[in-house]
Amino acid sequence: MTSSEIVLKVEDVEKGYSDKKVLNGVSFEIDKGQIKVICGSSGSGKSTLLRCLNLLTRPDKGRIWLEGEEITKGLDNVNRVRQKIGFVFQEFNLFNHLTALRNVSIALQVVKKMSKDEAKALAMKELERVNLENEAHKYPAQLSGGQKQRVAIARALAMNPVIMFYDEPTSALDPQLIGEVLDVMKKLAKEKLTSLVVTHEIGFARSVADEILFMGDGKILERGPPNQIIENPAHEDVRQFFRRINELYRREQR
Amino acid sequence: MAVFADFLPYILSGIVWTLGLVAGGLSIGFVIGLFMAIGQIYGGEEIQAVIHGYVWFFRSIPLLVLLFLFYFGLFPASGYKLDPLACSIVVLGLRSGAYQSQIFRGAIISLGDTQLQAARALGMSRLRGIFHIILPQALRISLPGWSNEYATMIKDSSLTFALGVLEILTRTRYVAMATHEPLVPYFFAGGLFIVLTYGGTKIVNILYERTKIPGLVGKL
Repeated sequence: MTSSEIVLKVEDVEKGYSDKKVLNGVSFEIDKGQIKVICGSSGSGKSTLLRCLNLLTRPDKGRIWLEGEEITKGLDNVNRVRQKIGFVFQEFNLFNHLTALRNVSIALQVVKKMSKDEAKALAMKELERVNLENEAHKYPAQLSGGQKQRVAIARALAMNPVIMFYDEPTSALDPQLIGEVLDVMKKLAKEKLTSLVVTHEIGFARSVADEILFMGDGKILERGPPNQIIENPAHEDVRQFFRRINELYRREQR
Repeated sequence: MAVFADFLPYILSGIVWTLGLVAGGLSIGFVIGLFMAIGQIYGGEEIQAVIHGYVWFFRSIPLLVLLFLFYFGLFPASGYKLDPLACSIVVLGLRSGAYQSQIFRGAIISLGDTQLQAARALGMSRLRGIFHIILPQALRISLPGWSNEYATMIKDSSLTFALGVLEILTRTRYVAMATHEPLVPYFFAGGLFIVLTYGGTKIVNILYERTKIPGLVGKL
């Protein structure tokens, strides 16, 4: 594999708040078309890592490359860099005063300088992609949680990103709404849309992830193919984590 | 003794002056208030300190003192000659800016920072995010507080009688003195203020209802 196919390269990223170190030297890469899932207990630095990677939070140390360009060099390019990274938030973060369609089209107009009609047409296409064409004119407060998150995904997709970040996209959803969001994410994964997904949805990880990165104490404790990490991890913390999650799933299925 | 009715048109034409004072003051205050709210929330420490001082200054000094200070003191001392009406509008505006900034500030803070984060994640600059995402919502939320500010301004505008601005109270006073009959004119002036206050807040409330974000009932 040539280096030009590496979409995201992360080298020794560190981030701390006052006396607590949240990220303590994280390194990994994602190739074009790969799906990587980040797991780990809460407080292990997963969300901070995602925020550092699109510069919503400034890392203290380390280097990040997007499509071969180092984005940690200066910070005058943040607005250009972020356009290439689709970010899906745990709490959706939709724009409450705009319809689903406008939520998707506004950045196309404001950032990509498309005409209103052009932006609308593209936004509609993206809403169709997440099966929401019939809800296009509803406002966020009129949508279910699952629909909101799919609008958020469409909003990110519309910018035509080179990589998608998902920050626990189903954690704020009622159980019966998780499926519709995961289905969309799986569909996108099958289309080989390069993605970095923070999630505890093991089923999703198992079926689409190329690799699981397990984080703990601000570091990657263990990494490998999903089956190996879930079934037979080497690290004790990882073993315990998946044992607990498996118990939870079995209880739900009963 | 002249009949009060003869002076009615004279007093009524004061409405135009009162509304002019209010419209001018609210407009200046709107621009100042908006910029200061944004500065207070998103600006650096120095900017925040300056705005804090401004708000504190204009909220602590009685309006009448401000009117005298600017009309007899600051404007002449700095070489500007403003007529009473222009000076009054400026003072009402500067003062209203201090109050309006706190209305907008509260509204922006109540929105939280998640939507701005989403805007930034899409590649919008902070300024664009504030303009396209935050302000359209913050202004809606501000409307009830803003209708209070309108009501206050209508009533405060009468203090400009002290500079001889020909608004409702000034004219009423002239009539009361000329006719030696204060009861009816002042009652009438009071009635005019009731109508103006009620009518204006009603209009703002209608605007609030019309611009409500669908589905967000009770949450705004």
